[in-house]
Amino acid sequence: MDTLIEELKGKLISLLNLPDLTPETFDPDARLVGGELGIDSIDVLEMVVMVEKDYGVLINNQEVGQQVFASLRTLAVHIHEHHEHQEHRPAGKS
Amino acid sequence: MSSHSLRSVRIAGAGIVSALGEGLAATEASLRQAQSCLGRPDIFPLLQGKSLPAGQALFQEDPASPLPRTHQLALRAAEQAMSGSKGGCAHAPDAVILGCTTGGMLTTETLLLGRAATPSSCRYHGLHTVTAAVASRVRCSGPALTVSTACSSGALALALALRLLRSGRAKCVLAGGVDSLCRLTFFGFHSLQLVDADGPKPLDRRRRGMAVAEGAAMLLLSTAEEDVEGVEDLAFVELLGAGLSCDAHHPASPHPQGDGALAAMRSALADAGLNPQDIDYINLHGTGTVENDLAEARAIQRLFDGAAVPPLSSIKGASGHSLAAAGAIEAVVSALALSRGFIPANTGFEEFDPALDLNPQKHVQDKPLHALLSNSFGFGGNNAALVLARVGAFQPPAEPAAPLPALAVHGCACLTGAGDLAATLARLEAGQNCTGRVDEAASCASLPPKQIRRLKRLARLSLSLAAEVLPEEERTSVHSIFMGTGWGALSETADFLARLEESGQQFPSPTDFIGSVHNSPAGQIALFLNARGANVTTSGGEQSFEQACFSAQLLACQGERSALLLAADEAHASWSPMLDASFGPENTGPGSAPADGGGILWLKRQRQGAMALIRHCLLYSSPEAMPQLPADLGGEGDLCSRIGLVMAGFSQQEHDLAQVQLQSLHQICGTDVPVWFYRDALGHFASASAVAAALAVSFLQRGTAPACADGTGRPLDLSNKSVLLLGLGQSLSAIEFVRP
Repeated sequence: MDTLIEELKGKLISLLNLPDLTPETFDPDARLVGGELGIDSIDVLEMVVMVEKDYGVLINNQEVGQQVFASLRTLAVHIHEHHEHQEHRPAGKS
Repeated sequence: MSSHSLRSVRIAGAGIVSALGEGLAATEASLRQAQSCLGRPDIFPLLQGKSLPAGQALFQEDPASPLPRTHQLALRAAEQAMSGSKGGCAHAPDAVILGCTTGGMLTTETLLLGRAATPSSCRYHGLHTVTAAVASRVRCSGPALTVSTACSSGALALALALRLLRSGRAKCVLAGGVDSLCRLTFFGFHSLQLVDADGPKPLDRRRRGMAVAEGAAMLLLSTAEEDVEGVEDLAFVELLGAGLSCDAHHPASPHPQGDGALAAMRSALADAGLNPQDIDYINLHGTGTVENDLAEARAIQRLFDGAAVPPLSSIKGASGHSLAAAGAIEAVVSALALSRGFIPANTGFEEFDPALDLNPQKHVQDKPLHALLSNSFGFGGNNAALVLARVGAFQPPAEPAAPLPALAVHGCACLTGAGDLAATLARLEAGQNCTGRVDEAASCASLPPKQIRRLKRLARLSLSLAAEVLPEEERTSVHSIFMGTGWGALSETADFLARLEESGQQFPSPTDFIGSVHNSPAGQIALFLNARGANVTTSGGEQSFEQACFSAQLLACQGERSALLLAADEAHASWSPMLDASFGPENTGPGSAPADGGGILWLKRQRQGAMALIRHCLLYSSPEAMPQLPADLGGEGDLCSRIGLVMAGFSQQEHDLAQVQLQSLHQICGTDVPVWFYRDALGHFASASAVAAALAVSFLQRGTAPACADGTGRPLDLSNKSVLLLGLGQSLSAIEFVRP
């Protein structure tokens, strides 16, 4: 799980082009959306695409989305749980 | 021209083609059936399983025509509109104003996939080529404006037409909107999770999104009595008012309380001289997305403030959302409702949503109508509302006592390969040129990193220009934004389509889609400055800045607050050479290296303290209008003594035509007036004229222009002179800057 969290830190910083944030300063338990990180609904959509593309995990329901993107850790947990269910399939469909 | 001017702006003809059908009769029949006209699109291949529903127009393209689908849709609607009166409209319209978001994109996408995209094969990519095709077909040689404010474009075009007609500068204007389906918008809205796989259910508690659609609608609007004589269809309908606003809240989501939507509706009603209680039907924007319908409902509840809300409906459950065409299509639908006396149904609605507290019209109802509102909202927080009414039901608003004073320039800035305005002037004074790409990192250094983290090149350059031109303490004074861009946000467009292809239509970037719309940079400026007035983006090819200026003359600074007028373009490594022939390898003349940048003017109506005034802004869509230019500038005699410098711009492909045009100008103005071909020094890109405008203002303020502008090698004295910014080629433009 820690490896996945570290991997996600790097991906989000680069994907969302978050200024002034490094893997060291990225608190996995901080509020991910609408908090001080400045991440908003557009970034959520961008993360949804990344999670589906890189981990084969589909997030397309708003209520699920809000729980999943509560923090970096909840996102990692969601990917971990659903990725395992789909482990017999290759990550990413393309 | 007309024998008698009407006080009202009437509909002398209307054309419509959409998923509902083609023509007024088919559209009305379809509306009365109130069934979904959505289906699986078949104009491009879908690689991943089940398709989302879309509103493909009932329209057969002419396979022999070289024109893309968008152009053909627009031409079909224009032809219908021009034949509205008995035997057709007898003369060409004075102007054409068209809203469009994707131009020839569908064709370009196909060419890109086949690795066959070249300047020649993509020559109809630009939005302005759609308007040019329409202007040419209806033989209009006057202004041909292309506006692109996402899903409010069609309504904005009609709002501008109304202002132009009221100003008296035109008596008959063909205006509307068009968009064809294409991969960019189909997959773009899908990537934003804004499409309902089961079809849109506007205002319904279970609504989950919209359906992307296509179509075109054009209205021939006229204040000339002879134009509406004998018109049977819609001549008893007038366009009574229009209101524009910007949320300045979010790049893609509406203001949650509907602030901007409310402002646009209030402004349209005030413009029409009506109260909310005068409205007996509202044609909703009603896309069927959770957030749009909620914001719009809240705005309507606030507008009526406890009083009874009139019947209302969205037709998008039946037609889908045709983006730039929607505002015009729904203006035609509104005109039909007024003319035939019926209220269209809100197809798809079943379950009341207590959060909206609105009961839309479930079934079509015959009922005489007197006045209605039609809403259109778009990305960038752009809002437009129109008021249409039966002729005679209400008095058209009284004309303002005096025309607005000329726009006064209170600040100017530019970005070029040399840097900012000071660096550009220094380079020119040293006899060097300023071509090349803008140093993006340097120009953005003062912008907050969080503000620009998601922005790519064009939006960054545009924000830099806005930050540069305004004194810090004046940032809150800006109300409206007028921006031109020849090609729009190329980086986002190219990146979106590249990832769409790479991932087999699965994983394009939603951020890129939001950023890809032409009005995204102007929306970012509005967010940056909290500018909640009109937010207009024009895309007129090489004439984009001039069209933004023309729009600003009609809409800017009605009160005390200020406006920004700018144009910018980005040089993109692969897309610029593909689209803009000026970038092609065959061009080896001066300034032919890839160049980009832009210019900006800060405008007020107050002449006091101004650097310059904009005395004229003239646009023509045909080179044949050249002989008309001196008279339109106020007469030949005065011109020679008045103009101190002509700054002439044209694309390299139109060099020969431009030379002939210049000769004819010399015959009138004399050969003594210096002519500076500024593109050789600033670079050949669509918005170079915006840089030239900033320089012209700067020259006038200093009373002198650098030697490079003169042929003689001496600095040019401009005291008591004006500067004429002249656009030559297939389309003509002239902006005259004078000292205050």
